[in-house]
Amino acid sequence: MRIVIGQGSCGIAAGAEKVRKALMNTNITSDISITGCIGMCYLEPIVDIYDDNGGLTRLVKVSETDADAIASYVNTGNKSFVEKLVVTPEDSEFLSKQTRIALRNCGVIDPENIDAYTDADGYTALKKALTEMTPEEVIEVIKVSGLAGRGGAGFPTWFKWNAARQSQGDEKYLICNADEGDPGAFMDRAVIESDPHNLIEGMLIGAYAIGAKHAVVYVRAEYPLAIKRLKNAIRQATEQGIIGENIFGTDFSCDFTIKAGAGAFVCGEETALIESLEGHRGMPRLKPPFPAQSGFWRKPSNINNVETFANVAWIINNGGEAFAAMGTEGSKGTKVFAVTGKVKRSGLVEIPMGKTLRDVIFDIGGGMKTDKPFKAVQMGGPSGGCIPSDLIDTVIDYKALGATGAIMGSGGMVVMDESTCMVGMAKFFLDFTAKESCGKCIHCRIGTKRMLEMLERITNGQGKEGDIELLEELCYSIKDGALCGLGQTAPNPVLTTIKYFRDEYEAHIHDKKCPAGECSALIEYKINADKCKGCTLCARNCPVGAIAGTVKNPHVIDTEKCIKCGKCYTVCKFGAVVKE
Amino acid sequence: MIQLTINGKAVQAPEGSTILEAARSANIDIPTLCYDKAVEVYGACGLCVVEAEGIPKLLRSCSAKVSEGMVINTESERVVQSRKIAMELLMSAHDGDCVAPCQLNCPAGTDCQGYVGLIANGEYEAALKLIKNKIPLPASIGRVCPHPCEKACRRKNVDEPINIAQLKAFAADIDLKGSSYLPDVMVRTGKKVAVIGGGPAGLTAAYYLNIMGHSVTVYDMMDKMGGMLRYGIPQYRLPKEVLDKEIALIESAGVQFVNNVKLGRDFTIESLKTENDAVIVAVGAWQSSSMRTPGEDLQGVYGGIDFLRAVIQQNPPAIGEKVAVCGGGNTAMDACRTAVRLGAKEVYVIYRRTRNEMPADKLEIDEAEEEGVIYKFLTNPLSFNGENGKVKSITLQIMELGEPDASGRRRPVPVEGKTEEIAVDSVILAIGQKLVQGDVSELSLNGRGNIEADADFFTTSIDGVFAIGDATNRGASIAIEAIGEAGRCAKAVDAFLKGESFETRVPYISKRDESTIDYSDRKKESRITPKVLPADVRNKSFDEVSLGFTEEEAQKEAQRCLECGCREYYKCKLLHAAQRYDIHPERFAGEMPQKYTRDDNAFIERNPAKCILCGLCVRSCREVMDLHAIGLMGRGFKSEISPAFSLPLDKTNCNNCGLCVQLCPTGALTEKSTLQKQVPLNEEITEQKIEIDGKSASVLVARCNGKILRVIPNDALSRSMKLSRDELIALLK
Repeated sequence: MRIVIGQGSCGIAAGAEKVRKALMNTNITSDISITGCIGMCYLEPIVDIYDDNGGLTRLVKVSETDADAIASYVNTGNKSFVEKLVVTPEDSEFLSKQTRIALRNCGVIDPENIDAYTDADGYTALKKALTEMTPEEVIEVIKVSGLAGRGGAGFPTWFKWNAARQSQGDEKYLICNADEGDPGAFMDRAVIESDPHNLIEGMLIGAYAIGAKHAVVYVRAEYPLAIKRLKNAIRQATEQGIIGENIFGTDFSCDFTIKAGAGAFVCGEETALIESLEGHRGMPRLKPPFPAQSGFWRKPSNINNVETFANVAWIINNGGEAFAAMGTEGSKGTKVFAVTGKVKRSGLVEIPMGKTLRDVIFDIGGGMKTDKPFKAVQMGGPSGGCIPSDLIDTVIDYKALGATGAIMGSGGMVVMDESTCMVGMAKFFLDFTAKESCGKCIHCRIGTKRMLEMLERITNGQGKEGDIELLEELCYSIKDGALCGLGQTAPNPVLTTIKYFRDEYEAHIHDKKCPAGECSALIEYKINADKCKGCTLCARNCPVGAIAGTVKNPHVIDTEKCIKCGKCYTVCKFGAVVKE
Repeated sequence: MIQLTINGKAVQAPEGSTILEAARSANIDIPTLCYDKAVEVYGACGLCVVEAEGIPKLLRSCSAKVSEGMVINTESERVVQSRKIAMELLMSAHDGDCVAPCQLNCPAGTDCQGYVGLIANGEYEAALKLIKNKIPLPASIGRVCPHPCEKACRRKNVDEPINIAQLKAFAADIDLKGSSYLPDVMVRTGKKVAVIGGGPAGLTAAYYLNIMGHSVTVYDMMDKMGGMLRYGIPQYRLPKEVLDKEIALIESAGVQFVNNVKLGRDFTIESLKTENDAVIVAVGAWQSSSMRTPGEDLQGVYGGIDFLRAVIQQNPPAIGEKVAVCGGGNTAMDACRTAVRLGAKEVYVIYRRTRNEMPADKLEIDEAEEEGVIYKFLTNPLSFNGENGKVKSITLQIMELGEPDASGRRRPVPVEGKTEEIAVDSVILAIGQKLVQGDVSELSLNGRGNIEADADFFTTSIDGVFAIGDATNRGASIAIEAIGEAGRCAKAVDAFLKGESFETRVPYISKRDESTIDYSDRKKESRITPKVLPADVRNKSFDEVSLGFTEEEAQKEAQRCLECGCREYYKCKLLHAAQRYDIHPERFAGEMPQKYTRDDNAFIERNPAKCILCGLCVRSCREVMDLHAIGLMGRGFKSEISPAFSLPLDKTNCNNCGLCVQLCPTGALTEKSTLQKQVPLNEEITEQKIEIDGKSASVLVARCNGKILRVIPNDALSRSMKLSRDELIALLK
């Protein structure tokens, strides 16, 4: 038997390393190795046990105290030792219903071992491209595949490659944007942590296609594990001659560097990323000129997102047509989503384009975590928009999602139920973009702040007649006037929530009520005397001593003292605390 | 060459040029705040956006290149909307006062901060010229004005307001003593204007229309010009010799005076109209208002202004020993203090509210009391009682203060059944004055019985006839109100005479939120008031009470000015852009990004609260000078420009080249002038050559009234030398 422990950041955070050490301390003689993110983040730590025939027993939510039981199972083959840890058939569907291309090796191979990658047909696509194809042919295959930029904008990859190829210049750069900044998005991190060689291979193919001798990965410093594994992979590939001079004996040479970003969201914008790479403050440049003409060090440069590159080797090996066979008329291949929020099963989901939101949230994600009904899903993080429950059957396709006012985005999918206030949700994302604005253009720097102030007023019960219209006016002006994608898309959460949940805004403004009961300034906590058993739990947990009452008698909240922290509401076991 | 169309006009531009360059070459103005030829394009302000046919996005014209056949609109509805919002957002986060509150509160818009500052620097002539841009009678107005400027003066939040009015009189008195300033007048237009009424309104309108090149004649019913300034203000407050000199200067400047002619008797508005291109009616309000109290028609009851006029005309009525003056305004003060000077033994002021509610100037109230005036507050005449047709006593209703009325003052209400009777020899009713309606029967009047004049254009019911001052609209007010109207009316009449349009939109200016201003770093220094004659001397004489400022006092008082208004007012590109469209930044009022501070060294003053983050300073320091002395810090709304490592500018490698200050489109970076007290001045800037180490270098020299205020390096050589301003000035000579 062979034991594989999921050691992506998600697994490690859940305790996978402790589990690994505990297993090492048992009398197991079988090989214990690691893999990256398996994708079922909600079930971490996950331990996969392969029998000698390749059969898989997946153990979930494992803790270090389970080590002996696992050892007994491994040593005896008696599954009853670990019965309670084995993944349920329903949870297994989370992975079995996916189609994994970009994530094909994630959670399967050891990310720290180049042999594991080459055993999985790694670097065969690079060899094929370098030795059997011209750069133009590579671009043609990518064109046929219909691959589009997975970072959010969805621009055809072949077009950018071709523009950079056509651009005159002896020095060119191929840059990977791994500055994954959307709150709730972690697809790129998973790819780098789990399958770094796949990224390197995709990038080298891209570099060959555009004629670049330098490949750079701009990765956010908040991803230390990704940086560590990528550095390791670069070292291994360099040692094997896959990076460097005359790769595979051809006259194609390419070096590889990593630049750790300093944590500015705007550096995900390609021109700001270039400024940052050059050592300047991360602020977008005016376009034109586009990076393909004048990019890094003013040389022709091509920038793609991690997930885009993660598809390239597969496409070269399997052909553009195979990739294009999946998806819709306008959106080909698969897309990875990071599904989070109020959904039962959260994690990474890769599915072919053309599936519906319902497929992701209900079929794969398992629906809502609580008994509260599904309300909306925020697509594309702070740059995206929300899609309400009655549009749940929207097809995953750049155009169809765009038509709702949301975007495909980089793949963040935050699922919300009826307990989420949509004004508060818009405020949350706007707070993020306002703080992350680079400060360069007026519309973004001041406009997002003024919108945020308006939303703060509205959620504090100080909204006034005309606020919605003023917000809309400002939104459209910012979209029109902002310099880069950050500002141009920042109004999307506000615009879509106004579009689909205008009544919630009106309730806040006119009735000074928060229908979802989330805006603390607009709610009051009370105790229903009929339901209260006098257990005193709420009184003991109240941080300000606002709850009075004696044992076995109904308690009362002093609304003057109450700071609306909601602690009583959370701790009450009898549903006696109500929000009004 | 590329052919394109901008705003319907065919334009040619070299290949590779931007739309902005092409537009500028065709004299089409596109606003921008972050573009300058000296540095690379940046695209921050977004004001230069234009719309190009067939391109869905707005283009930033500073960077978008021209292409063959392009059709550009630089002022489309979408472009204007985008610029307006950008400006509204920008101004909502720009914490500064373009203009000081004193100037804003002056009905004539006098540049108080400017002349106070110039007086502080000893530049009295320049101060006088600045005042005369708005007030042709500054020595007189400085003495009598109830100074709304001082009410707005922020120094009151530290200790007491600046003595602005007296400083004005000080500068004007110096001018009257020496070779008095006469304005340059423009080339004669051949247009004739008649002004009816030689009071402050009529004289002011005449003065400015004359400067504008029109031939102006003032017609007045009295012996001499001056109107209420002459016949309504006592000698001890405004010596007529001062007024005479100022009026003589107006005549010297070219205005024709005709006295002793009366509207309705000697001429009509229509008759003047036939001989002139425009007529301005400024007849004032010369009839005392009635109190509608029984006994007003008794002998010994006088109207306030009638009484004052009779005294001024050396024909004082016999007022006896006990005099009651009814009213609480400045005319009441003038009447009671005049009565004292005429020898009355007991002078009462009957006022139905209390001292705190009196509209008269506080100084007047105090000085009158010092001179022996007795206040009877909370009393109101019920009747004037007579004997043989002559007033003998007044029955007073005792009042108390009730709820505040619309004006915010507590309303006086009678105390039921409580009265008092005082014996008097005469009564002076100083409760207001009104238009003598019969004089202006040719014009339409409003509901209040005053001439109806347009609030912006001052036009009346007769085409070509304008009306201003106490006779119009809301009736009598203070002289400076009439002067303000007259100044604006002169512009309206000038436009009318030239057949030009006249802009009435009040241009936007930035104002700080008073509640956010911090005065804790300001040192207290008491207000200086000129010395006055002792009460027991002045109550027997009509000599001027105030002795006026000494030079030392004036300079010291002027130094107290807090310098609220922005020094960059005259050359602020931000303000210029803000005034281009009708904007309402208050829609987006919210937090200010930076605290209002002043960080200064010997030459440069930095105020991040005014910064608009155009980046010109940072970019010029980096790209032109290769110094990196300043840079951008922080993110989002709190982004700011800061000297390297947040050090004081002097501790960075800044060499004071001044390029950043020169490029700063607003008052975030200002260069100090050679003046000790910094003043916003409309400088003239000329380029001059200097010699540095045998090589010719270019500098810009900023002057005002001939005085060199600043020298700005203007090429690589002059910028690289790290020369102080004084050294640069020395090289000029």
